[in-house]
Amino acid sequence: MIWSMKTVLNIGFLLGLVLMVSCETAFDYSPYCIDFSGKDKDVNLKNIDRIIDHPANDTIQIAFTGDTHNFFDELGFFVEKVNTMDAVNFVIHVGDIADFGLPKQYLWGNSFLSQLKVPYLVTIGNHDLVGNGMEAYMEMYGPLNFSFIYQSYKFIFLNTNSLEFQYNGLVPDLLWLEQQLLPSNDFDSVVLVFHLPPGMGFDPNLEAGFYQTISKFNNVIVALHGHLHGFEMYYPTTDSIPYVDVYGVEYSMMTTIKIFNRQIYVDEIPF
Amino acid sequence: MLMKFRFNVLIIFLLMGTTSNVSLAQTDLGKWDWLLPDYAKLQFAGGIGFLSCGAGYTFVNHRIDASVFYGFVPKSFSVDELHSISIQFTAKLIRISLSENYQLLPLNFGWYLHHTFGDEYWVKLPPHYPPEYYWWSPGRNAGVFIGGELKTKWLASKIPASGIAVYVRAGTRGLYIASKFGNNSIPFSDIIELGFGIALYR
Repeated sequence: MIWSMKTVLNIGFLLGLVLMVSCETAFDYSPYCIDFSGKDKDVNLKNIDRIIDHPANDTIQIAFTGDTHNFFDELGFFVEKVNTMDAVNFVIHVGDIADFGLPKQYLWGNSFLSQLKVPYLVTIGNHDLVGNGMEAYMEMYGPLNFSFIYQSYKFIFLNTNSLEFQYNGLVPDLLWLEQQLLPSNDFDSVVLVFHLPPGMGFDPNLEAGFYQTISKFNNVIVALHGHLHGFEMYYPTTDSIPYVDVYGVEYSMMTTIKIFNRQIYVDEIPF
Repeated sequence: MLMKFRFNVLIIFLLMGTTSNVSLAQTDLGKWDWLLPDYAKLQFAGGIGFLSCGAGYTFVNHRIDASVFYGFVPKSFSVDELHSISIQFTAKLIRISLSENYQLLPLNFGWYLHHTFGDEYWVKLPPHYPPEYYWWSPGRNAGVFIGGELKTKWLASKIPASGIAVYVRAGTRGLYIASKFGNNSIPFSDIIELGFGIALYR
């Protein structure tokens, strides 16, 4: 059998088609292949821009979910419900969007959240860091610690998943947190969001410093986290900063907060 | 004998994936013949690499294959370059002889273990975690696939192999099935690993 020029050209064309295929298709290259398209990149940064572009009235309302793990259907129901809630300014996911840290799970999670009418931000959770999950998070959402200022409130997102970094003393990054909390003319109060609260998985050597840093400048009005799935509001420090454990999505309940005049109003909404 | 040797060189060549000179000095391969793989494969996708090359043996009257693949994903397709090894077993349930030169194997069932290299892809839970903190291991996943193969005698007279086969396969792995479980909203097609490849038979 002699291959004609035409056959060779055809094979070349087919090979070209194949090479254009990315690992987001059914031609799967590896569960750890990270090859996100533009809409799945820098999502937090783009959404911060969207939030800032749309000033709220005197009340800011935020809907929270988190610990979505493999509860994708439930995440879809959450999104449907939030899309009917006109007062919500934006959504915060408190982490564990990818149960096994797989790029594919990041894509699934984001495919639901991206159907929200309002902007959304995703916090890094411990499950999100398994395997090459950290690279996937950074590719899809951006830096693990980040902050922005919206209407004189500073929103700080902190990576507290110490165990995933083998308790190396740098997670959570308390120096970065302190710099972020340092009072300035740009903001007067702070909303702090993280995934994993002090306890199992949180660096025990940083626990005291963590609470001290949060209380240091007397400007944190609420700290919100996930990881424990259930809903709880508690006051672990003497200065009575409310800490809120937000509902895991599997409860078909969401936690919302309204921020008005430096005051926090926490609510629970079924979906 | 010469045919087998040439085939062996071809396999080494494929496995090395390089064009460097393969030493022809050792011609006394006779006593190692039993080690010679029964086939070599080059595969696109299928969950075990952008490209993977493998070799293996066939048992039970050509009904069962045991293969090892080395697969890689180049940096142009992923944030990180990925290297992995997979071991797979295939049961070839049906064989249809189409003609002297063509044989169709329309129903092959396979099971594989896929091991990705790198510290972050651990197999055993690292000691800094409490026991059973995570139940799965990112470094080693098991999966299943079904496939079909067309064995031909194309180029049999031109290259040191008895024939060339083309095959396709569709699989999935435990971690994907666990993600899909209980989620009607995740399309079934999202958990499928499609792949195809060619095989050279001894």
